[in-house]
Amino acid sequence: MAVRPQHMHDGSIVERRLRPIYDWLDNGNNKKALQEAEKVLKKSPSLQSARALKALALFRLGKATEAQVVLDALAEEKPSDDSTLQAMTISYRESQQLHKVCSLYEAAVKAEPNSEELHSHLFMSYVRIGDYLSQQRAAMALYKFAPKNPYYFWAVMSIVLQAKSTEDKTKKGILLTLAQRMVDNFITENKMEAEQEARLYIMILELQEKWEDILKFIESPLYSLLVPGSTAQACIPYLKKLGLWRKLNLLCKDLLWDNQDRWDYYLPYFDSVFHLMKEADNESTADDTPEKCHEFICQLVESMSSGRTLRGPYLARLELWKRLSEDGDPTDLLGSGMALCVQYLRVFANKPCAVPDIRPYLAMIPQKEREEKCRDFLTCLGYDENSDPETTDDIQRHISCMTAWRLAAPPFPADGALGLARTLRRHYLRCSEKGLVTATITEFCPTDGYGLLAAHHYFYAAVQQKSSKPIIEALNLLELVLQQSPANFHAKLLLIKLYHLLGNALAADSIYQRVEVKHIQLVSLGWVHAARLAPACAASRALQLLADTRAFHTHHAKDSVEHLTYAYKYGTFEKLVELRAWTARLEACAWGSLAARERALLALMAGPPGPLHAPSRLPEDPTDNRDLTVMLNWEPPQCQDADLKTRTFDQDIAYLRLKDALVSAIALCIEMSDNRPVEEKSSQREELEVCIEAYSTAMERCKDYYSEKERLCISAPFPSRIIAFVNSPVPYRELYSTTLRMVGELCAGRSARAHELCGRAAALVARAGALLAAEAAAGDGDHGWEMRDRLEALSNYLEFIGIMTFLLGVCNELVAPTNATNTKKSKKKTHQSPDEIRTVELLNKLNECVQNTISFIENLLDQWPKYDFSLSLEEEFSMMSIGENIQLVKSKLEDGLDNVLCVVRYILKNRSKYLKTLVQ
Amino acid sequence: MTTIRPFTCEDMLKFNNVNLDPLTETYGLSFYTQYLAHWPEYFQVVESPNGEIMGYIMGKAEGHGDNWHGHVTALTVSPDYRRLGLAATLMSILEDVSEKKKAYFVDLFVRVSNKVAINMYKNLGYIVYRTVLEYYSGDPDEDAYDMRKACSRDVNKKSVIPLAHPVRTEEVD
Repeated sequence: MAVRPQHMHDGSIVERRLRPIYDWLDNGNNKKALQEAEKVLKKSPSLQSARALKALALFRLGKATEAQVVLDALAEEKPSDDSTLQAMTISYRESQQLHKVCSLYEAAVKAEPNSEELHSHLFMSYVRIGDYLSQQRAAMALYKFAPKNPYYFWAVMSIVLQAKSTEDKTKKGILLTLAQRMVDNFITENKMEAEQEARLYIMILELQEKWEDILKFIESPLYSLLVPGSTAQACIPYLKKLGLWRKLNLLCKDLLWDNQDRWDYYLPYFDSVFHLMKEADNESTADDTPEKCHEFICQLVESMSSGRTLRGPYLARLELWKRLSEDGDPTDLLGSGMALCVQYLRVFANKPCAVPDIRPYLAMIPQKEREEKCRDFLTCLGYDENSDPETTDDIQRHISCMTAWRLAAPPFPADGALGLARTLRRHYLRCSEKGLVTATITEFCPTDGYGLLAAHHYFYAAVQQKSSKPIIEALNLLELVLQQSPANFHAKLLLIKLYHLLGNALAADSIYQRVEVKHIQLVSLGWVHAARLAPACAASRALQLLADTRAFHTHHAKDSVEHLTYAYKYGTFEKLVELRAWTARLEACAWGSLAARERALLALMAGPPGPLHAPSRLPEDPTDNRDLTVMLNWEPPQCQDADLKTRTFDQDIAYLRLKDALVSAIALCIEMSDNRPVEEKSSQREELEVCIEAYSTAMERCKDYYSEKERLCISAPFPSRIIAFVNSPVPYRELYSTTLRMVGELCAGRSARAHELCGRAAALVARAGALLAAEAAAGDGDHGWEMRDRLEALSNYLEFIGIMTFLLGVCNELVAPTNATNTKKSKKKTHQSPDEIRTVELLNKLNECVQNTISFIENLLDQWPKYDFSLSLEEEFSMMSIGENIQLVKSKLEDGLDNVLCVVRYILKNRSKYLKTLVQ
Repeated sequence: MTTIRPFTCEDMLKFNNVNLDPLTETYGLSFYTQYLAHWPEYFQVVESPNGEIMGYIMGKAEGHGDNWHGHVTALTVSPDYRRLGLAATLMSILEDVSEKKKAYFVDLFVRVSNKVAINMYKNLGYIVYRTVLEYYSGDPDEDAYDMRKACSRDVNKKSVIPLAHPVRTEEVD
């Protein structure tokens, strides 16, 4: 954000002197800006604006203390000129001291009570801290000497926000009455002049549930003057609230005659029909029977001009069928639901949206009927599985028919799925040879659909067979689809998913980079890739993406408050509430919180040596911001997992809490390891104890809770990491709690207990490697298929090694605090008490155990299983036309695994080296 | 069948099926919130009955005097919902809003290579007003067409007389 105030071009000497400082600040060269400020201050040492800019430059250079001194001194002087105040505001904002901006302008307004601009800045300063009552006062003060509409409505909005944020019903009522009266007065005096003011008025009435008043207002000439042409549409929600079904019915019919495709008019129309059906009044002109309703829809269908067939009226018929079948049988009136769906498909099969359109209605048809008649979808346009359509339009029709058929049909067993996958692949390759792949770098093409549907069926087969072979076939095909249709993000997402399914994060990353996920997508799509990197042992890439995610959140936290001031500036009151809620939602983002913790823990293992990146507090009520609809799913309705989102989120939260406890405990250990006298550490010791206890209990509980394996689904996240973690044969609960306790006791000077715990930790570590080996070798089937689980087990263990090593480092500082300052010839040994000697011995023993376990893992890595690419002759023949992609996928998988294992070895070597330096 | 409604912040969490299209830019968060706070009526979504976002338009009103006009900042339709007339629907919303704001014309920028879009805009009554050189950065930079359509306020259609020569990016306000 530019520092320079907007209308600062008065040509004065001061302006000319300050100009270079502004320029440097705006260009991000803070050092130059500081020098320039010093230069100006040499000539005029008391110039407030130059001092304020100096402070800002200092802040941005990371010299917060010096900057604060300058700012405090300035604040004492109670400045009131715009450029000083604005520069100070930016400094305060960037250092998160928003309250000080309020005091700054409070003082300024006292000094210059007649400045409209200062008053408006004061108002905005309250907006930033969300002090609604002060906002109201500031806005009214402003309106008193500058009677402009926006200021008046700022006050009204501030009252509404007070009402919204109070739990006290009486108070809420009084505040809303006040807000309403303020606007009423304005209306009476004919002063209302903007659309947003009208909307704010409706908002106030809505909060009081005064539906009739809203309707009256919307139907008034004033409303159509302020918001022309929208009266009819605006009435709909309130006619519903008031149960004025007849009126609603007629209104929606009117609207639909002119807009036959508007689903937001069909839905209230149906609501009205179904309410009127209960009232049954034969004389009515409204549609109050299913027959009349059907008649109306038929009229709409017939009225469509020949130019473009709209989906609306056709889909309306399905909606009528659905609503009637909820408590009756609509067959007499409409025929079977299946027939209606088939009819819809017949008309719209050449559009990719045809199948998603009928999908919700398919779920309403009884499973038996659906499955019996499923082939009707396939054959309704004269196709079957083996048809070879010759035009792109027909290819889309064929794909729609095949997809609808599979959505309705019972799921195939493995060989059926594999058979269909290969048929679909044949279709794709045939089109490819015949030049029917018409994709460009920006547009997909219908043929892609064969490849995507094939990949889904390969997946179904693979899951049933627990085999990586169908997945490798799918990957070969999808890489080809993507080469020929580089814009097709469905293909990209599937490739990412399937590479991860085989545990190959780096191969997945080769595709992810082409998706160009950024900004808010780091949040909504984090689950697709970023969250899978750490469990696939791709630690360094994980660190990058987790850091990006964190950066997005921190950046937004700083930025978001300014949007509220915009909303006031432009009078968009409705958006104010929304923007505030949005900010809160992102601040409490579960994935953002997990990313911070994962990053902290991962850095201990794979990052350069450094302090713990302690994350900010865990939000009380973390929010789920994942977009789980982004990936296609063509499984039949009975396979849909209705509570997928809530269940997986619940698992993620449980995992987040475990990680949070772990990071908090480590942070406490670090805090306790300073050289204060031990008596001063007792409260932290208790805190640590509580933290470890909570962790331990949670682990126990989660083990009971999350003992079941999750079904793999093509469009859903992989099973939450909590499942592998708490069910691991490696006793992480004991390992972490014993070690953390040991460090705490050592810090608190309770050496006897620390010794005991240290011994216990050593014994646990000594056994842990073998348990991991057992876990990682649990499956004796397809190596490629088991790769993901194996690597996840390994990643949990690596994380433990990282934390353990780090904690041993903390202990080392503690028992040999003089190490850093003394030379090697330190005589400390002679000064050590027997107790201290024992501590060192035990720590050395534990250290040795960790080193042993690292060597053990290194051996394990030498025998790490590989992917199997062997093909039968028949398979090889059928793969021929895929050509060089076989090599591409093979090398991506092999190199990806090699790279990951190589980095793991490197990390382990480093930890080992570090551990050796700790031995005394 | 389409539900037309204002874009809300939460839509940013579910617009991936539209934004993953390579020609649709995903902007920084504040870009969207700024438009929402300033021109909410210009930021509209078309939604399918299953709740999926099919496309959206974001725009603004700007300019002084007879340059007061509606501007299309982004118009995008998910690849799965193309050729259904949705872009035309969204454009007509933006034109309506601009009419209500008494704008003289509506304008937009489009990559000269984006033939599909250029044709669509031409069918909707837009003309190429001028070429803006190297407007889109990339490798190499790409020119843009500045396309316009007059609103009813511009009775003499002065705003849509094409310029004879291309302009540089820095000359565009």
